[in-house]
Amino acid sequence: MQLFHIFRNTPLGRETLLQSIYFCNKIGASPIVYIPKFLKFLMYFENDVVQIDLDPSYLANPDTALKHADQLLEETGEKPKFFNPKNFTAATLPDVPTNFDFMCCPRSISDLSCKIGLGYIGPRVRRIVKSAHFPVLITSPAYKPWHSIAVLFGGSSNALNALRLGFRLKRLSNLPLEVFTQSEKESRDFYDAVIKAEGIGKEMDQYVTQWHIFDQGRFEHNLYEIPHDALVILGAYGHGLIRDFIFGSKMEKMQSEILNNFIIVGPNYRARN
Amino acid sequence: MDGKSDLKRWRHLANFSIFRSDDRLLLIFIGIIVGICSGIAAVVLNRSIFTLFDLLYSVYHYWWTFLFPAVGAALSSLFLEKIINEGAGHGVPEVVYSVSRRGGLLRLRSSYSRLISSCLTIGSGGSAGPEAPVVMSGAAIGSNIAKFFFLNDRQRITLVGCGAAGAISSIFNAPIAGMVFTIEVILGEWSAVNIIPIAIASVAGTEISRLLQGNQIAFSHHKFNIDFTDIMASIGLAVFAAAASILLTRLLKSMRQLSGQLPSPIWLRAATGGAAVGIIGLYLPVTLGEGYHCIQLTIEGLFEQGLMIAALATLAKIFATSLTLGSGGSGGIFAPCLVIGSLAGLFYHRGLVLLWPTVSWVNEGCFALLGMAGLISGMLQAPLTGIFLIVEITGGYEVILPLIIVSALATTICHYFEPASFYLKDLVERGQLLRPGTDAKVLTDLSVLELLETDCISVKQNMLLRDFINIVKKSHRNYFPVEDQETGHFLGMVYLDDIRPYIFDPIMYDAILLEQIMDSEVEVAYTDDDLFDVLRKMDKNQLFSIPVVQNNRFLGMISKATLLDKYRKELIVQTTHRCF
Repeated sequence: MQLFHIFRNTPLGRETLLQSIYFCNKIGASPIVYIPKFLKFLMYFENDVVQIDLDPSYLANPDTALKHADQLLEETGEKPKFFNPKNFTAATLPDVPTNFDFMCCPRSISDLSCKIGLGYIGPRVRRIVKSAHFPVLITSPAYKPWHSIAVLFGGSSNALNALRLGFRLKRLSNLPLEVFTQSEKESRDFYDAVIKAEGIGKEMDQYVTQWHIFDQGRFEHNLYEIPHDALVILGAYGHGLIRDFIFGSKMEKMQSEILNNFIIVGPNYRARN
Repeated sequence: MDGKSDLKRWRHLANFSIFRSDDRLLLIFIGIIVGICSGIAAVVLNRSIFTLFDLLYSVYHYWWTFLFPAVGAALSSLFLEKIINEGAGHGVPEVVYSVSRRGGLLRLRSSYSRLISSCLTIGSGGSAGPEAPVVMSGAAIGSNIAKFFFLNDRQRITLVGCGAAGAISSIFNAPIAGMVFTIEVILGEWSAVNIIPIAIASVAGTEISRLLQGNQIAFSHHKFNIDFTDIMASIGLAVFAAAASILLTRLLKSMRQLSGQLPSPIWLRAATGGAAVGIIGLYLPVTLGEGYHCIQLTIEGLFEQGLMIAALATLAKIFATSLTLGSGGSGGIFAPCLVIGSLAGLFYHRGLVLLWPTVSWVNEGCFALLGMAGLISGMLQAPLTGIFLIVEITGGYEVILPLIIVSALATTICHYFEPASFYLKDLVERGQLLRPGTDAKVLTDLSVLELLETDCISVKQNMLLRDFINIVKKSHRNYFPVEDQETGHFLGMVYLDDIRPYIFDPIMYDAILLEQIMDSEVEVAYTDDDLFDVLRKMDKNQLFSIPVVQNNRFLGMISKATLLDKYRKELIVQTTHRCF
């Protein structure tokens, strides 16, 4: 398993890399670090090409970037592995492969509008999530170890993907797994039926420590119940444009409410055992 | 929920039963849409350039107008770099790269970015053509329509071709040239499934152009009576056109390198180049803009200036084009090639008349046409495009014989000096031009993971030879990866040949550990290696198979036998759709 990380040679970038390394250590993955030389790169997915525009801080102090990244990786016992683009769509436009198992997207990866706040998931990150086979790790602003896994499960197909990823990470990390459901209209039976229909009832019983179903209170208020030191997994998108917008803004709100590390699972995520 | 799914499902057109058995109908249907859209894009750009250029042309007699191309080029590069943030070259190489390596995926922004940027560059007087931008735009329209309908890579590539063909057909009112250019330059393969939708898209693009601009050929038709002496003279013109092509190619490259080394911002570089073009344009206005007016004059024999001015204009246009495109202006080389070719042909003709005044030469307009074909063929190394384009845009068939000679010879001579055409040069140098059905393409489309053989039995380094022999008995493999007892890290390989000296000596069975006989310096491959590099490594070390390692862990083996098997399958996939 490999996690793709774009390194930024700044204090914030250090926190993000530490978070990626921590994630990798927990699940036995290796970080592949990319130190960008250009402010843009392309990611070619199966039916989409996404251009990622980095902010200029990604090119800060190029002389020390490699050394800093190398140090952080070695300190944590990881063998440094750096990604050097081989393919270029144009001379200053490298292509980044999309065959990783995870990708780390810092909260301010995308375009200028990302500077509005750290809780903003830019449109490019959305498109990565929407097109990628891999889940996207969105790190907390500062290094924050996590000691449990929390899956937000609303019964949709993407939420089921999130749940499957939760089972997988539980197996790999052996950390407690909790599931959180904001029940708006449906009863518990509905969610049980969804899980049964997907044939994951056995795993649900085996891996999930506790399933919290909130049938009262607002979603934002109930977020308080999520442990502050949990890795939060949630499914995203797969809807139409308008629904995308609504769900996206809801997710962004959640991101600004809680500062946990997130893993976002898109509609094209291929669940692995 | 169901309603939403139905809404999404209709976009999966390829799943409809009517298209499932043969997708040609689907590609024709969507090809028409793509052809129409790219045709409209071409007309819009053409009209915009014409309007802007006309607007500014009325004041071109003032000295300060040399700033127009500078401002246009600066705005164009600012638009591309800061607003659209595209970060790519003049277009056609990106389209070819996308077809060659990325299943025809192109960004949506490419469908309009070049239209605006090239309008600014060319409309303000920059020496460039609108054809490459419309090719980029049309191709991106095709790609994004294919994306919308969830088409596969092959279908998407065809629609990229449809977009390019529709755009070229529309801008020149030349459907055959559009089709031939796409197949010869963009796709690089002649296949039945491609040709039909591309031909239909060309028709759609041309019709849209005729509907919106009228059915006019780009340059008025003239009858030429060509003798044997003219045909013989065309050989010399081919050499002359090839020389001009090579000069333009190299100057463009040098100018781009020079501009890239300057520490100033990109818009300032573009403005400097534009200002230089503007200054040239003050003395030689033929160098400004796309230059179709100049072509018309040369074909009609109305270019009044003498031999030396024709030569100077040829060189100036070459220089101005290099300055415009090399410094960061947006546009293509099609139109400049036509202008340079026509001027070169004119100069050559006048030279012939000067040297052999008693010979009855054909009208100089004919040589201007031949020069245009020579330049296009030389620069693009696409002789058929040169031939059909000239025949179509001039509406004359009489020049076909010398046209073929000039195009073929110019292509051959240019290929000798510049092995790759202007559009493909960078891609070839980076090793990224992969045409379908070629060895490099097949190898690129296969990955190390696809070839992995995972039925190897791993052994530990402290295993006794006796235990190992028991494992050998059960295995059908001749090689065994050795892994560390504690970490599971890959340590090396044990080959059957390694144990041959001890296998008939039972005393050694309990005396030898595998770490004593294993080969710990084996060549390994990694999952992210290119297969091409893995094969090279195997050939260099005369290996039949090689272990694949990731994160210090053994994943499996790659053997040449499996590679051959997969290679054949992939080759069949890539070449099946090429036949009728």
